Amino acid sequence: MSVSKPSQHAFVEGMLIAFPLLLGFVPVAFMLGAEAAQKDFSSVLIMFLTMVNFAGGSEFAAIELWTSPPAVLFIIFVTLMVNSRHIIMGATLAPHIKHLPKRKILPTLFFMADEVWALAMQDITKQHKHTPSKKGFRFDFYLGVALPLYVTWSVCAGLGAYYGNMLGDLHQYGLHMAFPAMFIVILVGMWNGKHNALPWLVSALVAMLAYHYLPGGWYVILGTFSGIVVVYFQGDSNA
Amino acid sequence: MLDLATLLTILGMGMVTYFTRICGFLLLRNKTLNAKQTQMMSVAPGCVFISIIAPEFLTGTSGDILALLVTFLAALRLGMLGTIVVGIASAYGFNWLLS
Repeated sequence: MSVSKPSQHAFVEGMLIAFPLLLGFVPVAFMLGAEAAQKDFSSVLIMFLTMVNFAGGSEFAAIELWTSPPAVLFIIFVTLMVNSRHIIMGATLAPHIKHLPKRKILPTLFFMADEVWALAMQDITKQHKHTPSKKGFRFDFYLGVALPLYVTWSVCAGLGAYYGNMLGDLHQYGLHMAFPAMFIVILVGMWNGKHNALPWLVSALVAMLAYHYLPGGWYVILGTFSGIVVVYFQGDSNA
Repeated sequence: MLDLATLLTILGMGMVTYFTRICGFLLLRNKTLNAKQTQMMSVAPGCVFISIIAPEFLTGTSGDILALLVTFLAALRLGMLGTIVVGIASAYGFNWLLS
């Protein structure tokens, strides 16, 4: 079971690229754990939840909506709503991984959190520019990004549940800004010219309206789809 | 306190999340997209992310909203780590000043 040199190299490269993100995960996961503790979650239980689910947005939503006992179907439904964006993300990744064997495709999709997906797509573009003849997706790079983030997310959520109550309300330290900050950086990286502007603006406005007037995770879905509809009706981009 | 409802909720969450991650792949692996569809697919992820954070502008305190603007400016210049640090520091600072 020796690992060949280039793949080992790619794994380390993935780890290094994910490192700043990993530091960003620490406070966000800690917040999640602290909020879970307020709903009587033990450290072990929130770690179990994050390891089974590994999708931060839906975990915050679930904890927010958690009652004792939890409304099983309602929380599962909200999870489905919040995470339905993965369908689009998986679809964009599909052409780059479909040549792989199942034993690689299934774990790849399991670890496809927002940030992991964003870094993978960036790497695919980069690799493709470098050697256009080759497939851009590197499985070992992907694992190098995903595994440390997966472990960090879960362990820090456990620590947050254990220590969170001692620190009081974490909002006073500004830690809640780590999560939007991460997404803002990803968005800035995705910006590739003016033809993004209108769909993004429409998405933002519809998401805000839906958040205000509709329950659960509908705002993510409606916001996303309204942006896509704008693209559909826009003329061809001359980029 | 692992009661049945808690266990079912967590396992159910895991299942639907994995379902969403597999679904798009299964739908598209055997298809080739035309130019319009490719364009829609390429803008879609940005629409997802912006939809997730947009409500922050509604629910945040005025300090949070100022912090979001500063964070956005930081993101134009700094990398991931720097931006997160600026985000946390500015949320702390503005909320402290304005409370």
